[in-house]
Amino acid sequence: MNGYVQGDPMLCIGCRTCMIGCVVAHEGRHIFEVDPDGYDFHPKLKVIKTFNVSVPVQCKHCENPACMAACKSDAIHMKDGAVQIDRDKCIGCKSCAEACPFGAVQMVTLKNEANIDGTPKTVANKCDLCQGLPKGPACLRVCPTAALRFVQEEDLNATVQAKRLGTLKLTVAAEAQQKQTPVCK
Amino acid sequence: MGVHEIEDAALLFVFGYNGADSHPIVARRIVRAKQKGAKIICCDPRRIETARIADMHLQLKGGTNLLLVNAIANVILEEGLCDYDFIQKNTHGFDEFVETVKKYTPESVEEQVQVSAEDIRKAARMYATSGRSMILYGMGVCQFGQAVDVVKGLANLAIMTGSFGRPSVGIGPVRGQNNVQGACDMGALPNVYPGYQSVTDDKVREKFEKAWGVKLSPTPGITLTTVPHHVLHEEDPKKIHAYYIMGEDPAQSDPDLAEVRESLEKCDFVVLQDIYMNKTGQYADVILPATGWCEHDAVYSCCDRGFQKVRKLIEPSGDVKTDWDIIQSISAAMGYPMNYKNTIQIWNEVIELCPGFYGATDEKIEKNVCVQWPCRSKEEHDTGTVFLHRDGKFAHPDGKAKFAATDWRPPQELENEEYPLSFSTVREVGHYSVRTMSGNCRTLRNLEDEPGWIQMNPEDCQELDLKHGELVKVLSKRGYCITRCLPTDRVKKGATYMTYQWWIGACNELTIGNLDPISKTPEYKYCACRVEKIKDQVWAEKHIREEYEQIRSNMGIKVKGAVA
Repeated sequence: MNGYVQGDPMLCIGCRTCMIGCVVAHEGRHIFEVDPDGYDFHPKLKVIKTFNVSVPVQCKHCENPACMAACKSDAIHMKDGAVQIDRDKCIGCKSCAEACPFGAVQMVTLKNEANIDGTPKTVANKCDLCQGLPKGPACLRVCPTAALRFVQEEDLNATVQAKRLGTLKLTVAAEAQQKQTPVCK
Repeated sequence: MGVHEIEDAALLFVFGYNGADSHPIVARRIVRAKQKGAKIICCDPRRIETARIADMHLQLKGGTNLLLVNAIANVILEEGLCDYDFIQKNTHGFDEFVETVKKYTPESVEEQVQVSAEDIRKAARMYATSGRSMILYGMGVCQFGQAVDVVKGLANLAIMTGSFGRPSVGIGPVRGQNNVQGACDMGALPNVYPGYQSVTDDKVREKFEKAWGVKLSPTPGITLTTVPHHVLHEEDPKKIHAYYIMGEDPAQSDPDLAEVRESLEKCDFVVLQDIYMNKTGQYADVILPATGWCEHDAVYSCCDRGFQKVRKLIEPSGDVKTDWDIIQSISAAMGYPMNYKNTIQIWNEVIELCPGFYGATDEKIEKNVCVQWPCRSKEEHDTGTVFLHRDGKFAHPDGKAKFAATDWRPPQELENEEYPLSFSTVREVGHYSVRTMSGNCRTLRNLEDEPGWIQMNPEDCQELDLKHGELVKVLSKRGYCITRCLPTDRVKKGATYMTYQWWIGACNELTIGNLDPISKTPEYKYCACRVEKIKDQVWAEKHIREEYEQIRSNMGIKVKGAVA
């Protein structure tokens, strides 16, 4: 199963440090350039705030990704447990951004890369789980309240199991049954 | 109390304090308290981050703080939830307090406060009965024309429930500026020497005169916020002729900027000492460039009275000096030579002259990382004071806490026909204070940049036909600025909010110079405004770009992309 980064709105304080951590992880030393136009500021996750919720929204690395199916230029692939966009192959057709049910894909214009004819290059951008970084996703390492976690198969299974137990407790008949039958020792 | 105690409170009563935007590291403690099972009551006109995770959010109408605080006290009294033993032993003034507060029934204030009497009662019961209730308050209390009274009102709640002198209780002011506690500790107030020793006390003055070898004035000075008045409206000898400004940008941060500019222009001589050029610098006769935080050694005081060391990491480059070296050089040029070699020598002099800091030696701060004053003994066992008023002993001469109830008064300038919306300045997490420092951080500028935003309720936006991101003109009686519209249901209908650091969207053009009579802090949190649609958005976008270039050129900024 692909892992994914998930935020907890009860811990998130909406500070957007994750968004900066993301850019720093992907732009490296470029962020030290004095000219803010000298590097790309395209966070691959976005903090969304509503009346009751603040939390970053990012790619869930679907097992059967709508973005990948929609891609017209074979630029989206499953690689090392993550859905990846190949910027060189991306033709900027926006199909993936429209297809993604979570709003996790955004079109971005690159400052330091151009099309062959010199026009600005616009490509699809989304979470890549910081592949290649030895310490894993930067967003969850920089979060001051540890509101983000990397969810893998066993984590998801644990969550599901906890919910199953909750369901059981809600089932009156099952609970009554438990009380009725004494334990023989 | 210490900031770390927040985590272990049973109930946090967060009043006019937006930790997530002002101090994310303190906000982390609030989140952790919640994780550990603390109840949270959040009193704030906006749906701030703390409000989302709170057990109760009292979304009061701005400017009604004391009504709500007094009504909560009223419930605690009426329902007999006071700690009478504590009141009897450790306080005085209770009867007068009861007399004032008894008329503030929840029912009598609910309409003005816009919180139901039932919710006020519920919050009061929760606060009074948790066993370990801690109050945190911030600029949503202090930046009103009636501020000190509300602080006292909150203290009343803590006194009447015996919530003092134990871990994880009490009342925590979470300060507006980094090291504002340190500035006060070091006597950057008009009425005290370092260590809160009064300038009018003969014994104290003699001590400092002896230590420094000069005659000192027994008269308190004036506060920062009354400088414009003393430049523009006073006659000699009260008139101010020279203004030496260090690490402050009044032409950006003070209320009613038109008046501030006039006073800076008319003042005979203005000196600015800062690490970057800023708006005030445009009016300065002399600019003294200082070093930044990683270019010098220093001691900070945290909001919980904790002294902490700041260490030099890199050699400063260019024509700059540390702040203490600049002061030393100016002093020498004015005929009073100082001969400090380093900050440790200065610190040693500070603690020698201040009994409350006497035990906080450099070695002790180094060893313990943080030492909270009072720390009166140099012995190793005295590692400072985490929380004050242990065993109900207070700082008044008789050792008792004093109840102080006052009646509510409304903000000075209320909404009216011409200016139908209320206006308040706030913070945002990415930019610190007047952005002298954070405005030079590229990634933070990428997150938020000129001309900033005005937060408005979506209904108000709809009435004015405003969309997200559209440039709008915001006006008050005193001035106007241009900023972008941010519709959000986190703010109430009729209320607007802007952060105060933007050069173009400079919201202090709008704010009012109404001061709290005691603290002299301006009413940044309340005035009346009007928002106007700008039909020609193309013109507006061009206008703000030109304005930005103009400000940069006035400041002499030449590097592309650099802010200052």
